Amino acid sequence: MECRDLKELISASIDGEASRAETRRIEEHLEGCAECRALERKMRAIGTGVAMTEGVVPSDFREKLFARMEAEDLLPRRRSLFVFSIRWAAVPLAAAAALALFLLTSPEKGKDVVIPQGQLPSVAQRQPVAAARVAGELTPEEREIIAYLDVLEDPSSLDTPGDVDEMEIFAPTGRRQG
Amino acid sequence: MRTDEELMELYRKGSRDAFEELFARYHGKVIHFAYRMTGDQARAEEAAQETFLRIARAAFTWQPKAKFSTWMYTVARRTTLNFLRDEKEEGDKVPIPPGEEAGDGSPALQLRGPNALNPEEMAWSSEIQERFVEALQRLPESCRAAFILNRGDGLSYEEVATVLGITSQAVKSRIFRAREMLMESLSGLLP
Repeated sequence: MECRDLKELISASIDGEASRAETRRIEEHLEGCAECRALERKMRAIGTGVAMTEGVVPSDFREKLFARMEAEDLLPRRRSLFVFSIRWAAVPLAAAAALALFLLTSPEKGKDVVIPQGQLPSVAQRQPVAAARVAGELTPEEREIIAYLDVLEDPSSLDTPGDVDEMEIFAPTGRRQG
Repeated sequence: MRTDEELMELYRKGSRDAFEELFARYHGKVIHFAYRMTGDQARAEEAAQETFLRIARAAFTWQPKAKFSTWMYTVARRTTLNFLRDEKEEGDKVPIPPGEEAGDGSPALQLRGPNALNPEEMAWSSEIQERFVEALQRLPESCRAAFILNRGDGLSYEEVATVLGITSQAVKSRIFRAREMLMESLSGLLP
């Protein structure tokens, strides 16, 4: 095969696009042809040069792009920390509410709780539960706890409509199509 | 690790993290591609920004028929071409110094040192890079894009064919032509 017929194949071979048979043919030819060996070396150098030619990634590239995307409402916004913290505060809040309910509805309501000395923290010892309550009425704190119960009975009310993943902390927004 | 296509799907559903991951994977590649295509850093940055904006705008209509990266390069190439076309219409095209044409007797840059004969260890400098970028700009766009996508971005002939909308055989020919023209205009730089 003539050198000129092989040039395009040498180029493809450098790019890993020649078949096994073609590659073998090229290798055999290159062994005996100094001119094609030089050509192959130049072709490789050209490819290397292009790969090494790179632009600069500006340090503010991301910031600029994301600002433009947010201006066009193309980037989902992060959910506020408040919503996130309320979600994770639900468990201890539920425990506190359950305890309050128990105390309010207990048949023992209105009676002093007899607590053996040394089994409760000192605050509980100094302020027995029933002593802090006006008979037949709820304290403001108790009313607040009951108000929380409405939320806790329906945790989904904490979610933003349209959420994809319950654990994901981003709230998607409407997006323009184009 | 999630695939590009999975990340696109998550972004469509409202995940900011998914887009950030895609951005992290590809923003450098898109900037380098645009730079090799335009030969101008500022234009490359603009084109890369526009590419990501177009990807985000088209996310709802995107169908994972092809690889995400192939689609992304298709968008990047079209965006870059629009930039080049706009510049041409405005008469703002970066002029090529007349003395840069091949065979005009202008002094060629020589590689320094004993590594000159080893293409993998070519002594590289901003001056040589500049010569490469200028030589790339003199190629016909179809050859330039094919060669850059293959050698610069590592796309196979088949993937380049998808991006350019031509056959793999045509890609093979265009890349060969690009090599021939570059070898001629950069003859002084080569081993």
